[in-house]
Amino acid sequence: MDTCIKKIRELSAELLEKGEVQKVIGFAQGTIPMATSPIAIESKQDTEKLVFNSTCGLNLANYASKQKGKVAIIAKGCDSRNIVTHIVENQIQRDQIYIIGVPCTGMVDKSKIATLFEDEITGFTEDGNTLRVTSSSREEILKKQDYLRENCLYCTHKNPILYDVLATELVEEQMLEKPFPDVDRIEALDTDAKWQHFENLTKNCIRCYACRNACPLCYCPTCFVDEAGPQWVGKGQNKTDVNTFHYLRAFHCAGRCTDCGACVEACPMGINVRDFTRKLNKDALELFGWEAGLDITKRPPLDAYSPEDPDDFIK
Amino acid sequence: MGNLLEHMGIERDRLHFSWISSAEATKFVDVVKEISEKVRALGPNKKLVKDYN
Amino acid sequence: MADNDTKIVSFLCNWCSYGAADLAGVSRMEYPADIRVIRIPCTGRMSPKFILSAFREGADAVWVSG
Repeated sequence: MDTCIKKIRELSAELLEKGEVQKVIGFAQGTIPMATSPIAIESKQDTEKLVFNSTCGLNLANYASKQKGKVAIIAKGCDSRNIVTHIVENQIQRDQIYIIGVPCTGMVDKSKIATLFEDEITGFTEDGNTLRVTSSSREEILKKQDYLRENCLYCTHKNPILYDVLATELVEEQMLEKPFPDVDRIEALDTDAKWQHFENLTKNCIRCYACRNACPLCYCPTCFVDEAGPQWVGKGQNKTDVNTFHYLRAFHCAGRCTDCGACVEACPMGINVRDFTRKLNKDALELFGWEAGLDITKRPPLDAYSPEDPDDFIK
Repeated sequence: MGNLLEHMGIERDRLHFSWISSAEATKFVDVVKEISEKVRALGPNKKLVKDYN
Repeated sequence: MADNDTKIVSFLCNWCSYGAADLAGVSRMEYPADIRVIRIPCTGRMSPKFILSAFREGADAVWVSG
């Protein structure tokens, strides 16, 4: 991973020095262990701040649009798919963006690691597939494979789809026989149990909208939850309102979600927000043979008409 | 949307789509009857209803 | 449930199903009085927001017809 960071810094420094890009958007080390935050770098000296490790779970495509001038962006597989979506949806032009692709070996589930310790985690280092996590009382050596986030576990696009330059060599993609085991599990429940499952899921939601803000798909200037006339969703903690927010947000992501996991990463209450969007990803794949962000020339399925579109739900 | 609502635990028969031309009054009546029968069988909807009290 | 308690919120396209409903009325055909018709200019005006809104306000079912 160290060579990868070095390469990212070199590439960024070169791009900034030549004036090819105004900014490099990447990850910087956060203020606590196992945390990274997005950063925009504008000078060559600052490239030392850039990092890349298994805790860079947010999606940088979120910051790619609405920038002035040309920007370079560090993109994992899912980030690059979201950049493709942004280009298809005219949020950004291809020539406005320089993509530094980083083949990704998965991001770690921070909350899962945190449950191993009773006290605060004070240190986190990684070397290949080995994680070394320390707290004030003890140290644990963990295998990264066992502590991957769920979406990274099911990820079939680790390599960037669209890039100008690569920071490391491409990694091998996995083939999954059953790409949606979590959705299948919920589908097997009966109607009331399904309802109860989602009721429990949103029970802790505090409506902070961190999931929406972290999501690269949620770029509407005014979100439907903020609209006041008509008001589609109440602003309080009413459980119908909370559910409406999640259902409608999920539906807005239909056929566009790349399952990057940024929503789950951002949620302060540990809600698996992906439970909502995963079903739509599965439907997009089964009904339209579609996975978001793989082709820069194709419109998403709900955005285009084809005579072959399934219509068996219409009487 | 139908698939999503079903996944979330709303009965499938609570959301209907149809295509009726303006000349098809009989089809309209048939569809209304069919939907109404299905929904009556399900009973009143309690889920996703906002409680204003 | 009493017969007149069911509420089916129906979004009908002005040019298609609304016309059909009109024709059904003119032809004095009988159909259940459970539907509450909302005329939309075209089914293209439909939005998932409308469906959720209808359920939130207590609809037993939603019917979208073009």
